[in-house]
Amino acid sequence: MGGGQKKGTVTPHEHNPRSRSKKRTKSGKKTKMKKKNKRDLEELKKEVIMDDHKLTLEELSAKYSVDLTKGLSPQKAKEILLRDGPNTLTPPPTTPEWIKFCKQLFGGFSLLLWTGAILCFVAYGVQLHFQKESTKDNVYLGCVLVLVVVITGCFSYYQESKSSKIMESFKNLVPQQALVIRGGQKMQINVQEVVLGDLVEVKGGDRIPADLRIISSQGFKVDNSSLTGESEPQTRSPEFTHENPLETRNICFFSTNSVEGTAQGIVIATGDSTVMGRIASLTSGLAVGQTPIAAEIQHFIHLITMVAIFLGVSFFALSLILGYSWLEAVIFLIGIIVANVPEGLLATVTVCLTLTAKRMAKKNCLVKNLEAVETLGSTSTICSDKTGTLTQNRMTVSHLWFDRVVYEADTSEEQTGRSFAKGSETWFILARIAGLCNRADFKPQQETVPVAKRATTGDASESALLKFIEQSHGSVAEMREKYPKVAEIPFNSTNKYQMSIHLLREGDSYSHVLLMKGAPERILDFCTSILLDGQEYPLNNDMKEEFHNAYFQLGGLGERVLGFCFLNLPSSFSKGYHFDTDEMNFPMDNLCFVGLISMIDPPRAAVPDAVSKCRSAGIKVIMVTGDHPITAKAIAKGVGIISEDSETVEDIAARLRIPASQVDPRAAKAVVVHGSELKNLNSEQLDQILLNHTEIVFARTSPQQKLIIVEGCQRLGAIVAVTGDGVNDSPALKKADIGVAMGITGSDVSKQAADMILLDDNFASIVTGVEEGRLIFDNLKKSIAYTLTSNIPEVSPFLIFIVLSVPLPLGTITILCIDLGTDMLPAISLAYEPAESDIMKRLPRNPKKDKLVNQRLIGMAYGQIGMIQAVAGFFTYFVILAENGFKPRDLLGIRLFWEDRSLNDLEDSYGQQWTYEQRKVVEFTCQTAFFVSIVIVQWADLIICKTRRNSVFQQGMLKNKVLLIGLLEETLLAAFLSYTPGMALAMRMYPLKLMWWVCAIPYSFLIFAYDETRRYFIRRWPGGWLERETYY
Amino acid sequence: MTKKERKSINQSLTDWKLFLYNPTTKECLGRTAQSWGLILLFYLVFYGFLAALFSFTMWVMLQTLNDERPKYQDQITSPGLMVFPKPVTALEYTFSRNDPASYEAYVRDLKNFLKPYALEAQKNLSVCNKGGLFEQNGPEYIACQFPVSLLDECSGANDPDFGYSQGNPCILVKMNRIIGLKPQGQPRIDCDSQDTSIATIITYPPNGVIDLKYFPYYGKKRHVGYLQPLVAVQLRFVPENAGQEATVTCKIEGSDNLKNQDDRDKFLGRVVFKFTMRA
Repeated sequence: MGGGQKKGTVTPHEHNPRSRSKKRTKSGKKTKMKKKNKRDLEELKKEVIMDDHKLTLEELSAKYSVDLTKGLSPQKAKEILLRDGPNTLTPPPTTPEWIKFCKQLFGGFSLLLWTGAILCFVAYGVQLHFQKESTKDNVYLGCVLVLVVVITGCFSYYQESKSSKIMESFKNLVPQQALVIRGGQKMQINVQEVVLGDLVEVKGGDRIPADLRIISSQGFKVDNSSLTGESEPQTRSPEFTHENPLETRNICFFSTNSVEGTAQGIVIATGDSTVMGRIASLTSGLAVGQTPIAAEIQHFIHLITMVAIFLGVSFFALSLILGYSWLEAVIFLIGIIVANVPEGLLATVTVCLTLTAKRMAKKNCLVKNLEAVETLGSTSTICSDKTGTLTQNRMTVSHLWFDRVVYEADTSEEQTGRSFAKGSETWFILARIAGLCNRADFKPQQETVPVAKRATTGDASESALLKFIEQSHGSVAEMREKYPKVAEIPFNSTNKYQMSIHLLREGDSYSHVLLMKGAPERILDFCTSILLDGQEYPLNNDMKEEFHNAYFQLGGLGERVLGFCFLNLPSSFSKGYHFDTDEMNFPMDNLCFVGLISMIDPPRAAVPDAVSKCRSAGIKVIMVTGDHPITAKAIAKGVGIISEDSETVEDIAARLRIPASQVDPRAAKAVVVHGSELKNLNSEQLDQILLNHTEIVFARTSPQQKLIIVEGCQRLGAIVAVTGDGVNDSPALKKADIGVAMGITGSDVSKQAADMILLDDNFASIVTGVEEGRLIFDNLKKSIAYTLTSNIPEVSPFLIFIVLSVPLPLGTITILCIDLGTDMLPAISLAYEPAESDIMKRLPRNPKKDKLVNQRLIGMAYGQIGMIQAVAGFFTYFVILAENGFKPRDLLGIRLFWEDRSLNDLEDSYGQQWTYEQRKVVEFTCQTAFFVSIVIVQWADLIICKTRRNSVFQQGMLKNKVLLIGLLEETLLAAFLSYTPGMALAMRMYPLKLMWWVCAIPYSFLIFAYDETRRYFIRRWPGGWLERETYY
Repeated sequence: MTKKERKSINQSLTDWKLFLYNPTTKECLGRTAQSWGLILLFYLVFYGFLAALFSFTMWVMLQTLNDERPKYQDQITSPGLMVFPKPVTALEYTFSRNDPASYEAYVRDLKNFLKPYALEAQKNLSVCNKGGLFEQNGPEYIACQFPVSLLDECSGANDPDFGYSQGNPCILVKMNRIIGLKPQGQPRIDCDSQDTSIATIITYPPNGVIDLKYFPYYGKKRHVGYLQPLVAVQLRFVPENAGQEATVTCKIEGSDNLKNQDDRDKFLGRVVFKFTMRA
């Protein structure tokens, strides 16, 4: 038995959980540890290998040295518990809070600011050391930078901890119990104490306490949907039915739920070595890649740093050439580099992302990680699980066949669909059979709940029938009361039918009716007649042919089909007759066939629309499910993952009547790949499948295969979103660029692994996510373009100060007032900007080419608009100095005298003499005016940044109210800073004459006119030179 | 591992080389010659236009300016005081009367400064009436003579060393020029030594009086040859306390509209300097 396999002959001792032995070797070297971890991960990615399902009961008993009736001795159990540890999943290593906080403090963008701050302190230190007097500006700037980083860090930490708190509320803390038999005694123990080899008894409603090999069962069924994605409950019995441990009947898995029946089994794995545990360890072991937005921000930092260093070094060289000392040149170098740091941008980006996260949370998308907000927008492939994500995970009656017609039932969640021929007598009989020959029942106290949402006891298909009859016919409870059940044969896998006999009372006379439902071909075998419009007709070959066609048609839809028939028992069976189902003291042949009812786990109502929206947004939707190919394909067709007119290789083969091997796979748009095929594919072949087909369904996939599919898509450069609710999805969820879990039906493990949670389980929310993600990407571009622009009028004064030796046109404090004051709200307000065109109609961005910040954006912001702004500022500066007596040509080279504190009779262009303080007041007035000028040109910048292609006249000014408030706010703040009486002392900002506000206005108009023209040309000649060079 | 790293360094080096010049696409720094040409042309035109606009607005602004008088004078309403000669950094003087090299620079500066005040140089200036503001309506503006003899011992006429060799150094104090300033009352410059045991003070003209006839000033362009009124301060060091620092404060007094007190501006209507005579 399995002796050929290497792993086949493991003894229980060797069967030790791998991860636990890993822990013991912790003392080993770190590198070794890493390698081992990697190997473990590779190991976990492989399929589950076990052989316990192939063993006979004797072998099983020997392997685990356990008595199959009495179980382990309590002594032995204790020993094993000590050896193996408790039966729990090792929780994923949680990052301590302070590390999370540090990540916020030192991650990504913050690093740039930290560098800036350190440079500031270095510059101050150098100044302090070599020159006695030094301004404290550098210290202030350094402190402000640190403060900005810390405040923003706290803010985003707070935001993320808020959403992780919501996460924690999902955790189910109820301790689970298990019924074990030890030393012949039944005992209720905590699940954690269950050990390898334990004899466990489970019944309907329990959670399976460990991986079990079934040794005996009575009508036992488990719900494996969270592990395998199969939507139907699976029968479990002692027989070995399949090589694959996941498919064989005699194994049930840890943490799946039993639906009905009872069973006894031997524990063959506990804790982390269970199938579920392996998936969980695989999930927590997977390395998570960088989010797209983090990559973009990194790219942005590179660009900014390059510009800063380029400017710094060139002006360092220039200042040496101009005759400054080395020391001064170094201070200049640091000053220039620091001045290029956009202080406010970190906060702006964080706030923009938070705003979007909040907006998404309102639409039931909870984002766990702020950076993941944008990821859905970049997504080019969605790998979606079927069960519970695309479908309702609830068997529902979808088709009926009676009176030789196939009727469609209403499968929508809200029961708003159309009706069918309810007038027919046949329907009446069919409904009676479905309602009476049915062991499912509603759980009590649910009268107010809509029928479709009521909880039921019993099998999924029986529940489906129950709900269907309740909805379309009438109260099943009344029906059952009226026609009491007198005998019953429950469904089992050998009979494949279910039969019940009911007492029928008509007036005073009583009769019995025998009702039967089951596998259609079995049912047909019992029948000799068929009911058409309430009349019995003989079941001839034509009728049989029609039956087969209908059966084939419904089966082809991936639906589970049941047949229904009945027999009016002769009056010889009077009231009180004892029907004995063992002796079969009643006839059970020549029954009358009534019809077929088929059921499916139907797609959620919003899904087809959502899929088509994703399609038109250029996103490839791939179905990856553990369910059977036929069902998967049917649902795929139902929701539009496989569009109506596209065919698979098999479809083409069937149409052309040639073998499938002769069909060119490229001719087929759609493909359904079976897990067993996937197992034999190498990565190139998988790539081929992913590349050649646009509509792909992977069926019968294991969790590991889901992971491989995601990795395949990522290898091809796609940004992959994975949606899923089951444990089997969690490795893929973790590996995906963004994992989306279901909030209501999703398993804890999947929620832990995901980056986003759909609180309403509505797949359509993904479309919202995509839309919001794309919008925020566009708007961040605008926001960054806006913020970066003012960098040039901020840096250039310092450069001019160095080169032309004029009084400093803009000081550190005023720069900070812009970056952290006036620019802030307008930049954030761009996050509220509505989309310029239908963003859901364009292709997802290409992460290699469409960067958040590219050279064109830098060129626009720095090279063009920024330059105009700088010129506006300098103009204002020269105006104020000239009007106060210092004409431009007399300013050149004045710096040394201007800065000399002991020189108190500096002569201006008119022969007047100024004290140091008097001219400094003029200088600070100039700086205030330069600041105000930047605010004024930033008005225009904000308006042009609203759109990247459209004219502002197309976009409209009034839709974005926050932006208008931003405009007002920056103006008022500038006026406040300039005119508040104490400001001269506190910030060295001075009141301005009205005319000095006006100086920058022509330049503001220039910016507006220039950019409107530029965008006009871009619209007029799409793809033209201007677009290629300036469209960011 | 190291092999891999070296490989990646080589790779990035070749990438860089390709970026610098790619022979297949003939791209230099990621652009072809034509592409570079176009983008440079674009920026040439753009900046050319911007420069032209800047020049134009500056020209318009300069047209609005008056050559004779600045548009705004609200930042200098009251004159500052300044001393002469001016040491390189702070207003701290040290000299030794026995060492001519220690005060040579001061003496040279004073001589240079007083050149325009020489009789010869003042020949073309008018003798104005004493004791009142000398308001003029142009178009010719007359500058008044400032007889250097008013400075008496500090005039340099009798003592070419301005008293430095005797240990009685001279410092000139002057009031900053402000166009159109009309002092009220009778302004004078009042100097005090903080500790008279180190040095005593004598001012010339007596009491440091500044005659109003030098006001108002009409600016560099109109008021050609204008001479600022000066006040000389002579410190008389007490030889016994040589080597100690004398702190001298000079203030404008006697005029209501000339401030001599400001929290921030230590030179508004006042000046403080320190003098040390080394033994």
